[in-house]
Amino acid sequence: MEALLLKNFLRSKGLMTGLLILFVAGLISLNIGKHFLDKNKEIIEKTAHYQQESIAKNVEFHPKEIGLLLYYVRFGLVNDMPNLVGLAIGQRDINPSLQSVTIRNLEEQKYATDLMNPMYQMLGNMDFSFVLIYFFPLIIIAFCFNLISEEKEEGTWSLVLSQSRNPLKMLRIKILIRFVSVLLVLVLLLMIAKFYLAIPFNAAFLAFILTAILYVGFWFALAWLVASFHKNSSQNALILLLSWVTLTIVVPAGINALTVNLYPVPEAFSTVLESRDGYHNKWDEPKEPTVAKFHQHYPQFSQFKHPEGKDYSWLWYYAMQQMGDDEAAKEALAFKEKLKKRNAFSSTAGMFFPSIHTQLSLNALSLSDMDNYMNFIEKLENFHEQKRLYFYPKIFTEAAVSDENWKKFGLEFYQEQPSINWVKMLLPLLIISILCMFCAKLKFGKDLMAR
Amino acid sequence: MRFTMKLMRINILKLISKQVWGSKIKNSSTLWLIGIFNILLLFSLISGFRNLSQQQETVEHYSHEVRERWENRPDKHPHRMAHYGYVAFRNRFPLSFFDFGMDSYVGNAVFLEAHKQNTVNFSEASLSNGLLRFGEISAGMILQLLLPLLIFFWGFDLVAREREHGTLRILLTQGVSWQELILGKSLGLFALALSIFVPSVIIGFILLIFNEFTSENPQSYLRLVFLIISYLAYFFILSVLAILVSAKAKSSKSALTSLIGFWLFFTLMLPKVSQVVGQNLFPSPSKIEFDTTVEQELIKQGDSHNPNDPHYKALKDSLLTAYKVDSTHKLPFNYSGYVMREGEKLSAETYKKHQAELVETYQKQQNVVRFTAFLNPYMAIKNLSMALSGTDYSAYNDFQNQAEDFRYHLAQTMNELQIKYIGNKVKTSADKKAIISSKNWKNLPDFHHKFLNLEMVLKNEIISIISLILWTLGLIFLVKYSIKNLKAF
Repeated sequence: MEALLLKNFLRSKGLMTGLLILFVAGLISLNIGKHFLDKNKEIIEKTAHYQQESIAKNVEFHPKEIGLLLYYVRFGLVNDMPNLVGLAIGQRDINPSLQSVTIRNLEEQKYATDLMNPMYQMLGNMDFSFVLIYFFPLIIIAFCFNLISEEKEEGTWSLVLSQSRNPLKMLRIKILIRFVSVLLVLVLLLMIAKFYLAIPFNAAFLAFILTAILYVGFWFALAWLVASFHKNSSQNALILLLSWVTLTIVVPAGINALTVNLYPVPEAFSTVLESRDGYHNKWDEPKEPTVAKFHQHYPQFSQFKHPEGKDYSWLWYYAMQQMGDDEAAKEALAFKEKLKKRNAFSSTAGMFFPSIHTQLSLNALSLSDMDNYMNFIEKLENFHEQKRLYFYPKIFTEAAVSDENWKKFGLEFYQEQPSINWVKMLLPLLIISILCMFCAKLKFGKDLMAR
Repeated sequence: MRFTMKLMRINILKLISKQVWGSKIKNSSTLWLIGIFNILLLFSLISGFRNLSQQQETVEHYSHEVRERWENRPDKHPHRMAHYGYVAFRNRFPLSFFDFGMDSYVGNAVFLEAHKQNTVNFSEASLSNGLLRFGEISAGMILQLLLPLLIFFWGFDLVAREREHGTLRILLTQGVSWQELILGKSLGLFALALSIFVPSVIIGFILLIFNEFTSENPQSYLRLVFLIISYLAYFFILSVLAILVSAKAKSSKSALTSLIGFWLFFTLMLPKVSQVVGQNLFPSPSKIEFDTTVEQELIKQGDSHNPNDPHYKALKDSLLTAYKVDSTHKLPFNYSGYVMREGEKLSAETYKKHQAELVETYQKQQNVVRFTAFLNPYMAIKNLSMALSGTDYSAYNDFQNQAEDFRYHLAQTMNELQIKYIGNKVKTSADKKAIISSKNWKNLPDFHHKFLNLEMVLKNEIISIISLILWTLGLIFLVKYSIKNLKAF
């Protein structure tokens, strides 16, 4: 019987077309991912080049005062992009993966965005995660909506019932063949991706594959549950399609709307205002308090004083810049906390919905999620602070520009290791799938008893 | 055949459409679906409206604060004020709760200062995790994306099933023409769609009245009227399409499969693929490339800080000759203010030129998507609805331009003040003679973000409008003339 069912499946034009559509859509998505990775690489290479060029030019223009020179010089930090991003672009097309900053106040610089066509962001990428989350379920629905009803409607179901002691076994094989065929396409695509996008085979990729497989498994479990209701084909199709619309469109958008309403972020605006006043107002105020506050922040620089009676000194200038960050620190922290709250809320709510959970997990594994960006920003703050600590003494002692080896300031890279919480990542998908299968088993069991 | 193509009889159309309505509405699942959709729409309208009011309040609050802080700055050197600058916030259009469009993907606040064009930051998308990318739930999204699915679901079997049951032949032999049948069924389907659309429009209208900013923008009402007309056209197109597919399909099952296939292809695949194509056809620069190009061009024009720079040396020499003095200190106005005015003018022009090129590239990219509207009515309504709700790219671009104009005006006003009031002999901006009264700050008008007028909006979306009209006329034409090869059994 197994061989017969397999033959039947292989001969079905509709089913083969379905697999082919998945495969082609998958290939297109891989190409889009590849393009994204290439573009990012190009931006980094160009920026590395521009940075060297721009530093050299500035050194040439401002050879006398290192304080003035550092007003202009920018240092770039790259949020390193693993090739896995080619499969799940996530927020990487919204948040810049590279920031160039001067040692002046960071608050005015760190939220700068890249140039992007907003239409592009609105319509979104057709990356692999999109194909997986939207297209795979549809094909699975098309494969499974008439698992039993087809036999009933064609009159073969009574034949099955009369000839087989265990009709459930035939159905199981039928759905298993479909499951395996879809899995084959999925694994094939991921293998092609491995070589085409040069993805290293590591824990993150393994977790990515497992999550994808479990997501596909969930949809088969759901289809199995719906089949156990013994409804007719069009009712099955309706139930499954409605589940698809609910899970991939309505619920995610609903949770997002809820997040936005529950956690508005006015802190974004107040941070800007505080930082702007923190710095700019100091120009009109007496210099001593500003310098004193600076000394309080950095006791190690207490020996450097603002020359009395002078209208200007670099110490005073950078102290003012420092105040731009220091006085906005409270707001900036509140801003960060708010974003964390938003993030925590939506990912917790998302655990109950396989589509959301899968998307967020894949993004996390690819380091294209909100957490990665927040970590990057923290790293950027750190990076900026290091540059300050390195240059402050040189500025205050008026070190010669020529004493510094400016060539050594190339781009720096932040490489995050994805922290994989296997249980939290895989368990929600497993539980929901098992729940579906369990309910189906109860339902099928009842029907067989009734017979 | 030619003689039966007389005017369609209104009473027959009424009869058929009423029959469609009646047969569907007695089904409890239809009532459920209508109920669910209405609740969904109500929820999204109200949550969109709440979010809009919250945003408007925040923007209003911080705009006042920016103004207050600006006016309360003490007496100082005007160039310090030019650096203190302004923060401009993007206002939301009162109708934007209806269709969020690109609102979440474009920035909301921009810091405006002399010499420098900053990016507009803090888009909703930058404050969100990946969830936003599933799409947002707004009335616009439900009506554009989900309601068509429902129309197809209600319509796929309206003709096909009659054929399968043999009742189609009876109808046709009773003297009902194919045109009357198709149009009548389409109208019945259209009426079902209205049961979802009309309540949402009424609620939308009430909410619009309640928004405190609507009275400042009375064009919102007119925009709503255009929005209603566009959506009516869209639902009519989809209803006729569903019935035509149902009439042409071999079976009701194949009608459903093709309709869902169309829906997937046109709403999910095509928009994404066409935007990727648009991006590849018209590549746009990254921020770093853009900045470097502008910077390099500015360096070529001259460095206002370098006294030996040819451009500024020529300027200086011509001034000295004109005023018959031998040093800039003896000029009757502030020389460095004069130079800064010149520098600001040049850099702003250069930036503007490149920004215009960038916007043009973006528009070319968007046009690739926009032109698919001739194949894809979904894209037509999406763009048109977004534009009428004030959440499209041109609305954002208009804000960017207004902010840049304001920035330029601010910088130049401060330069003028410096030229006029500050002596040439002051050494630093802290010098007593370099300080002017804070009354001058109040004279700078506040930043007011104004919205595009309706005429501009319609002009921008002319492609979408034409496409909707062509679709409507084309389908009517199709109903009239291409039914010869339809089968009654």
